[in-house]
Formats: sequence, C-alpha cells, structure tokens
Amino acid sequence: MDKRIQLLDAIRAIAVKTPMNDVEVPESVVGFGTIEYKAQTCSACKKCILACEPAALDMEDTLNMHDYLRVTVPQEGFRSKNREVLVTLLQNLKQDHDYGDVQAISVPEGLPGYGSIVWSAEQCIACDKCIEACPEDCLTLQKTYKLPEIIGPIEAPPPRTEGKDWEPFIVCFVCWECSHAAADLAGLMHLHYPASIRTIRLPCSGALEPIHIMTAMANGADGVLVTGCLLSECHYGGDSPKAGNFMQEGFVKFWSDIFEEIGIGGRLNIDFASAAMGIKFAEIVETFTEQIRKLGPTPIQAKTEVQE
Amino acid sequence: MKKLILCTCNKTLTKWLDFARIEKEVGSTFESIHIHDALCLEEGLTFLDAEVSKDDTVVIGACTSQIIGVPLAERLKSELVSYVPLREHVAWVHKDDQKGATNKALVLLNDAAIHVDFLEPQTAVDIEMEKKVLIVGGGIAGLKVASDLLQLGIEVTLLEPPEFNSKDYLEKNQFMADSSTLKGVVKDLKTTSKGVKKVCGTISKLSGRAGLYSVSLKRDNGKEEEILVGAIIIATNSEHSPPSIAKMCHYGKTNQTLLLSELSTLIAKQTAKESKTIFVTQDPSYHDSSVAGSYLLREVTYAAEKGNTVIVAHSDIHTKDENLYRAARKSGVIFIRGSLEKVSKKKKGLVCRLENTLESQVREFTVDYLVLQTQLKPWSGTRPLADTLGLNLDREGFIKTRYAKMKPVQTSKRGIFIAGNAKTPMNLNDALASASNASLEVFKNLIADGERKGWIPVVDEELCDLCDACVEACPNDALRHEGDLIKHIPMNCEFCGICVSACPTRAIEFQSHSKDSWLTRIESIATKHKKLEGQKPFSLVYACSECANASIDQAGFAGKGYPTGSYVIQFPCAGMVSPIEILKGLVVGAEKIIVAHCPPGGCHHQTGDHLSELVVKFTQDMLKSIGQDPSRVKATYMIAALPNKMQEEVAHRG
Ligand code: SF4
Ligand code: SF4
Ligand code: SF4
Ligand code: SF4
Repeated sequence: MDKRIQLLDAIRAIAVKTPMNDVEVPESVVGFGTIEYKAQTCSACKKCILACEPAALDMEDTLNMHDYLRVTVPQEGFRSKNREVLVTLLQNLKQDHDYGDVQAISVPEGLPGYGSIVWSAEQCIACDKCIEACPEDCLTLQKTYKLPEIIGPIEAPPPRTEGKDWEPFIVCFVCWECSHAAADLAGLMHLHYPASIRTIRLPCSGALEPIHIMTAMANGADGVLVTGCLLSECHYGGDSPKAGNFMQEGFVKFWSDIFEEIGIGGRLNIDFASAAMGIKFAEIVETFTEQIRKLGPTPIQAKTEVQE
Repeated sequence: MKKLILCTCNKTLTKWLDFARIEKEVGSTFESIHIHDALCLEEGLTFLDAEVSKDDTVVIGACTSQIIGVPLAERLKSELVSYVPLREHVAWVHKDDQKGATNKALVLLNDAAIHVDFLEPQTAVDIEMEKKVLIVGGGIAGLKVASDLLQLGIEVTLLEPPEFNSKDYLEKNQFMADSSTLKGVVKDLKTTSKGVKKVCGTISKLSGRAGLYSVSLKRDNGKEEEILVGAIIIATNSEHSPPSIAKMCHYGKTNQTLLLSELSTLIAKQTAKESKTIFVTQDPSYHDSSVAGSYLLREVTYAAEKGNTVIVAHSDIHTKDENLYRAARKSGVIFIRGSLEKVSKKKKGLVCRLENTLESQVREFTVDYLVLQTQLKPWSGTRPLADTLGLNLDREGFIKTRYAKMKPVQTSKRGIFIAGNAKTPMNLNDALASASNASLEVFKNLIADGERKGWIPVVDEELCDLCDACVEACPNDALRHEGDLIKHIPMNCEFCGICVSACPTRAIEFQSHSKDSWLTRIESIATKHKKLEGQKPFSLVYACSECANASIDQAGFAGKGYPTGSYVIQFPCAGMVSPIEILKGLVVGAEKIIVAHCPPGGCHHQTGDHLSELVVKFTQDMLKSIGQDPSRVKATYMIAALPNKMQEEVAHRG
C-alpha cells in the first residue's frame, strides 16, 4: 500500500500542472480505476470495508437521497426488499421528478441499518475485493482514474530557460531480450542514433515499474522511452494478452495520458523492435529524440538541481 | 373458516353503530357473521365455545382486547384472532356521527379480516430454567432476598464482593435507619438467611440466557468457578463519599472535621457532661434526596439529644417524614439557611463563615466540630459489574431499572434483577420492600411452568447480509451474531419487533407481522376509507400496544371524542415502525401519520420510545429533502393518564 502512496507522491513531484480531467484506464491495465457505488441497494453491512485491504472504504452516517430517487428499480427488484420498498415509496412521493437539488440527509445517531459507503480514490488499488464481498451488488469498477481528485492542485514551477547547447537527455528502458539486441545491432551496424540516450536493461519491458519512469523524470530526464520485443513476441508471454510488452503498452499509454494531464505530455513513449531490427531501433530513438527536441527541456525541476 | 363475531355490549352500541348495515356490507369478507349481545358473560363465552373451532380465524368486534381478550384467551379454541375495539375506538368516540362511525367500523373490520390472514400461531419458547439464584452483595437487601428465597425453597448463592466487610457494613448503611433498628433487622436477617451459600469474589464473565445463565466467578482465594443460575439479583449498597467542599473544610487534615457517617461514633464515645458545639453543613452542589435528608435529621437530633449544641446550615432538606424535622427542632437543633464560605482553624476551634445569600448576611461561628453531609454514591464496583453483566446505568451511576413504574426490580437485561440500594439510596423500609419485590419476581419467573409463547423474529440466512443492525437494535440481547449466523435467543426476547424495523434487507421478519402484512393493511385501510368516505381526509395512528393503546382506549372511556377517519393500527412496540410504514401511509393518501409511543423512558421494551422518535425524525428529513411537508408525520407519546392525547392529535387535521 505504501507503494501506491510512493507512486502518487512521485507523480505529484513531477507534475507541473493541476490535472483537470479523469484519465481513461486501458483495458489491459489493472490496479487503477474508480469504484462506483449505488447507495440505493446498500444495506450498510460493511462487508466491503472489511474486504478492502488498503482501507479505501469507510462508512458515513448519511443517506444518499439523490441516488434513491434517480435509480430505476429493475423488474425483478432489488435483493434487499426493504430498500426496494423505501426507494419506491420515496419516488412515489416525489412527484415532480426534479432531482437536481435533492441533498443527502444524515442518519440520526443511534439508528442502526443505514449509512453510505465513502470511497477514497487515492487509496484504492482497484483490486475488486469489495465488489466480490458486496452481497447487494452495489459496487462496480469503472475504467477511469480520477486523477484531479487524487493528485490535487499543483503549483507550476518557474519556466526554465533553454541552454544553448542543450541536447535532449533521454532514458531508454530496453528489455533484455530483443530490444537490447536491437540496440547492440544498431551499434554494430554503426547506425547513427543520438548520443544523449542512456539505456537501462530490464529482463522484460513488462518488468518496468512506473516508479522507475517517474524517478527518471524526476531526476532530470527530458523524456522516457520504453522498448520491448515486437508485440506477440514477448519472450515471457508470447502472444498472450498478459505478456509483458502487451501489458506495458497499455500502461505506458495510461502513463502518457497522465503525463498529458500533469503538463509533461509527449515525454513518454513505448515502441517495439525485434533483435534483428537494428534499423528500426535507431529510427525509434531518432523519432523520439526529435519529438523531445521540439518539446524542449523538461519543465521539471530536477531533484539534483534542487539539491544544489 | 374466517368468522366475524360482533358484540353490541348489551345492545348499547346499537345507538352509535348501524349493526344491520355492518352485517350487510361486511358480508362477503367473512364466511360467517354473528352478532351477540354480551360476549364477555358466560352465555357469550359458551356460545364461543360452540361456535369457534381450532382451525377458524376469528375477528372479534367488541370492546378493547384489554377487557374481552382476557376471558377469550382461555375460551377461544383458535389462536388466530384479531380484536377490533368497536366500543372504545369507534362507538364511544364518535357518538354524534352514526354514519361515520359505522363507516369506520367497516374499515377496521375489513382491516382485521386481512390481519387474521397473516396471523401465525405463537411460538412456544424453550423455558428450561435453572432453579437457582445468585445474589450479588450481602447487605440488608441481599440478606433479605436470600432469606425470602430460601423460605420459598430456592437455592441461593450469595456473592460478596471483596470490598465487602460485614463489620463496617452497618456503619455504611446508617443512612437507611437509626442504628438500633438497623442492628435488629440485620440480626434477624442473619438468622433467617442461615443456610445460604456464601462466596467471596467477583463475577468475571456472564454467558447464556435468561433462565440459564452461566456465571464465571473469580473467588478471593484465587479459584475460578462456574455456576449455572436462573436469575441474578444485584443487591449492592451505596457508598458515602466526601462532598466537594471537603477540602475547603480541611477534611482529613484535622479530626475536628468529619463526615455525617462518622458523627454517631463520635457522639457515642462522648462522656455524659461533655457538651460540644457541632456545625453541620450540606453541600450546595449535591442534590439532596429524601433519604439523605432524613438521615441528616436523624443524626443531628441524636447529637442534640446528647446535650450538644447543633447548628445545621442548609439550603434545602428533603424528607418524607415531617416528624423527623419536628423531633430535631424539639431536641434543640438550630437551623440556619446559608452556605459555608470559609473555614479557618483557630486555637479556640474551627471558625466557620456562613453566608446567607438571600439576605446577603454573613455570620461566623466558632465550633468544636464541623460535620459534612456525605454524598450517597453507587458502590464503587458498580460500573465494572454492569459492564460484565451488560447492564445499563442511570445518570448517577446506579443500575438502571427496565421501567421504573411497572418493572421496578428488573434491569435492562432479562433475568437480572435489582434490590435495595443498587438502584438508588433507600431507607430501610423501602430497601426491604424492594428486596421482597425482587424475590417474588424472581420466584414467579423461576417457577413459571407451562409455556412462554409469543411471535418471534425469524431470520432468513440466505437474505441476511450480517449487517448487525438487528443485533444492535435489540434492547434485550436476544439476537447474537455467531459465526456466519444471526442467532435468536427466544428466552431473552420480549417479542417487541424492534429488530425487524432495523433490518435493511428484510432478512428478518416478525411472525404474524411481516412487512407485507403492514403494507397490505395500510393500503386496504386507505382503499376502503376512500370507497366509503370519498375525499374525506384520514389519518393513521401507529400505536404501540402498551401505553399508547391504553391511552386511546381511555379516550373512549372518558368520552374524549375525535373525528372519524382516524384509524389506529396497533404495533407490538412503536420501535417496530420503520420509515417504510410511515411513507406507505403517506403514499396511500393519509393526511397525517402519528406514531404513538410510551412516555420518554417508559417504553416497556426499553428503547421503543426513543427509536420511534429517531425514525420519525429521519423520515421527516427524507420528506424535507424531497420537498414534502414533514409535519404530516409526527411521533408523540400517549399514556392512559392522558386520555385526551388522541383528541389533541387527530382533532386539528389539515
Ligand atoms: S477495489 Fe480493492 S482497494 Fe479499491 S475499494 Fe475495493 S477493495 Fe478497496
Ligand atoms: S456496498 Fe455492499 S458490501 Fe458495502 S456496505 Fe453496502 S451492501 Fe455492504
Ligand atoms: S428486538 Fe425485540 S423482538 Fe427482536 S429479538 Fe430483540 S427482544 Fe426479540
Ligand atoms: S438486520 Fe437483517 S441483514 Fe442485518 S444482520 Fe439482521 S437480519 Fe441480517
């Protein structure tokens, strides 16, 4: 759980702009999402709270009248008959169907059986455990990530002036297998690719943890490039959708969207090259370097600089 | 067969109700209708013997079930009966509106016809009981209970807490009576309670249920022991504690300042001619009870009679016995209003400065002894004991009674009783009376052979979310969450239905009073009313079957009439009403819903009055949030002593 907090802190550290939009979570990305809660069927049994390891859920002494009124009771009804009747009766009494200004009400102290679940986006690791635990089907996982809520307001750092002899400094995570060989091949073939690139070898592109990307950015990288084997050729997963490179592609897409939101868009990319593709590898690096060159130096105050 | 049996109450009700019309219009709802003139008399009962068989469902339209229900409970062969109090709830309160009254009778009889369809036979509860009793506290009340029960042939164990010391016990209890009376009583009680098994120690754990409690005892000698008892009686004592002004009065620093409880010892040691000036003062911050007041008067009289000069500085002395005050005056005690401001130690004695706030007068007295009225507090071990046993305490820390008027020796937990000073400081006679009460009550409980029957809550495991709402709501520890189940302990259950109102899912249903039964009945009352009365507004009163129902009956007896179109639905307890029944009433068009409960703190099931207020407040909040008028819903108490409550509540409709 600390890991999640570490990661979020790392994102906050490299953010230069307050995120404004929720970010879509790609299908292959797990561990991030939004828990949607339907108050109208909830029996306040707290099973979800007990199931949630990172303590992302809590119980509040309120009744969400808005949800109660807005919901359409399905044909077969709710599992919880008392809630169903309550919802139906309230809807029946609210004849104008104008639910705009309906407020949640508080449950009097000492009255058992009512309450609402509150979910904390920051703590949640989208593990689905609460959903499995809920007997009333109140919870669902949405593939969006509530970035603005999670990251909070960010103070923009002072703009950086571009040194004359600035060259993009790019960290490239290469996988042990194809990509690394491709990079070697590119070297052997004396293909020209920018010198400003530092390659870091990983067993598999899938093994790259987001914190590494954030750390690279925080330490002054102008961009981060991830390369892996060709899709469906992952040495560890083949063409399974769970293969490292497949997963990482989704993740990098997710992280680049987040980068966009926090003001450092375009500085993260993933691409794929097989061991035999020296030229392709050189091209990938070239294109990305060009892109970074256009974007200019990173707006992030590198940690090392701050220290000085 | 579904049968309707009406009673004209010796033809008197025909004046206000059109029986012929009722017979005609109610027709098809019942398979047979009989109108009798005196159901409660032997001829009526004989008629019922012959008429009603075991498999019939019966609606009795007569007087209140409080009256007719008593003989009928023995004579009716069927258990599936619904009573409509045509006399108290209809005829006698709508005397000037025969048509309206007859309409109302039709609505109520129709409702009862539906009600009997939902009725189930009552469940017999396992009443296996251990015919042994544990008494905690071997003081006066404890000894009295022990000797009473011994005489009744019940096996008794007397548990004496470690702090207990029979020697200083007499001294500690002097507030209860003068010491010679006290001594005599204790001596007698010791003789009559011979043979009781005494154990010194504390209770460390309680499990089981009323009638079959398993008590773990930790004995002073270190041994642990487990005993099985049918009932527990708490008979702990009160304790004296120095008042808040003790420090100012140098209490503990000089032997010239003492507590009232120490005064008699001092006087007893006095030699004949030695006369002292004694200044006795109350603590202004301590609310004096009549027990404490009487005690004060007794002590000062004794001191004055021994030839001392006694001055009592007081603000208010309560006593139930005027003679005590007279005796004090006669013995020469001087009473002065005022509060002690300052005490200084001088060679010649203690100088007490007294301020009379009313007359803004300051006076000083130089005295030999300063005596402080003590505060009577619960025994210091009360709280831990209450925690172990799961009992509620009152504001001052004494053990709370279940229901002061009707159940003065019952605690909040079934099977646990109180006697004497455990409840509040008492004088000797009251303490002895309360002890006798407690022993009789326990005896009645333990020998109660036959059956304990009632409608009980039934949990559907499949639907239960184990949310614990019912467990939390039950005031009687009759529901427990054990493993993956909610377990009902019928012997603890008071058949109140409070648990059912708390359940969010409807996994728990009360026999004969399912959620559906309420909803159907509320709906049918509205439909029938509209059919007979058209647009005429109507209100629904959800009345608890105890105080509120009695109050509505009394409205009939007292002739406190109210408009027709007011229908009473009887709930076992007002705490069983949930927002669902209230909202349903509004949806079917009732102008007003009144939830009538017992007076605050007077619920027969302990929490129903409070819970129904919460439920109504919560429902009002819901109504507000959807833009409806919350004043259409109201919770209020009704008691038999206030027969005009019903009139007030339903008279000004609209
Ligand atoms: S998905 Fe997992 S982490 Fe998120 S709220 Fe549910 S149980 Fe907690
Ligand atoms: S959301 Fe589901 S699991 Fe959580 S309290 Fe509500 S009903 Fe129980
Ligand atoms: S709430 Fe009442 S009916 Fe329900 S279990 Fe407790 S005592 Fe019995
Ligand atoms: S209130 Fe209902 S759902 Fe909750 S534990 Fe009790 S029976 Fe089960």
